[in-house]
Amino acid sequence: MTFVKTKLELEKLIAGDTLEVLLCEGEPLSNVPKTAIEQGFTVVENVHVKDNVHKLVIQKREGSPA
Amino acid sequence: MSLRADQIERYSRHILLQDIGGKGQEKLLAGRVLIIGAGGLGAPIALYLGAAGVGTLGIADADMVDVTNLQRQVIHFTPDIGKPKVVSAAEKVRAINPDVTVHPHQEWISAENIAGFIADYDFIIDGTDNFATKFLINDACVLGNKPYSHGGILRFDGQTLTVKPHESACYRCIFSAPPPKDAIPTCSEAGVIGVLPGVIGTIQATEAIKYLLGIGDLLTGRLLTYNATSLTFREIRIQRNPKCPVCGSQPTLTELKDNSDALNVCELETT
Amino acid sequence: MKLTVNGETREIAGTESLNIDETLVTLKVADPLYVTVELNGTILEREAFGTTQVKDGDVLEFLYFMGGGGQ
Repeated sequence: MTFVKTKLELEKLIAGDTLEVLLCEGEPLSNVPKTAIEQGFTVVENVHVKDNVHKLVIQKREGSPA
Repeated sequence: MSLRADQIERYSRHILLQDIGGKGQEKLLAGRVLIIGAGGLGAPIALYLGAAGVGTLGIADADMVDVTNLQRQVIHFTPDIGKPKVVSAAEKVRAINPDVTVHPHQEWISAENIAGFIADYDFIIDGTDNFATKFLINDACVLGNKPYSHGGILRFDGQTLTVKPHESACYRCIFSAPPPKDAIPTCSEAGVIGVLPGVIGTIQATEAIKYLLGIGDLLTGRLLTYNATSLTFREIRIQRNPKCPVCGSQPTLTELKDNSDALNVCELETT
Repeated sequence: MKLTVNGETREIAGTESLNIDETLVTLKVADPLYVTVELNGTILEREAFGTTQVKDGDVLEFLYFMGGGGQ
């Protein structure tokens, strides 16, 4: 479900915009970056923030899904 | 319009798809599809379009649920016997998905009422069992410029074609006029394998969804035939027929009229 | 002559040309009165069945009415 919600936010962006997503370790962290790349987005940043939380920055580019 | 939290969960498998996403799901929720016939074909069509979140479904049929329907009309259950088919179908669709507004129309489609029915919908699906109505749906959709899906089944065979009026071949481009009454056997006389309408109906439902989403290639200009015994699908290219009586270059059919056997063929035969 | 009929090769021995009516009989097509015939991609008028000749290599589709779906 985390990627579903991420994707809905990505749809609102225009090419070049980035989206910051805070993710828990485990399934969300293993799925969201992988699926984002598969679907044509760019993962610009993936850093550990605190405890089990990671920050992911995803960029929509030309050719990414609308 | 934006999706509620429960809708994001319900439609998550659609949202994940590149060609659908949240925007596509919103298009489905705003979509309006009329299903004519709540029988073998109408059953899977209504169930799947309802589950998919097509926001408004019209279902037209004047008939009651009969025990002989239950071998294939999977939207009707044994306790529904005797109930109007549109009521039974509407109950199931609403139970699957409360997002869907269902308009049950418990009446036979005729030349008099069909234009009014189809005007309110984006896409029409023919799930009827008699040629008079099949031709009437074609003519009304061509004259009213509504895209529609034709479906037919008999014994172990099925066929389907999507029509975009004045762009692709219509039903009358292939079959210029209805066959005489009794010339072609009906399912009630000749039989039909119960899973067959599931195959053809789900293809018709797919066409409605693709049309609402504006994706892919519709089954236009190609008649798809299916034979369950040999498990073969064939696609026959169909060009628009310049001599078509309704969409040809000099149409002879410019207003709707009922065919002489416009009453339900099966109904007449069983009485 | 060899024809492609509904996707399958059919051999008609002893003749190199038949009209559509004769072809329907020769191939034992069921309900010939109600079949639609597409010859090489073009749907034929019923009135032309007697005068349209089929020759070696032609592609024929016989299309049938299928009415079920409701009751």
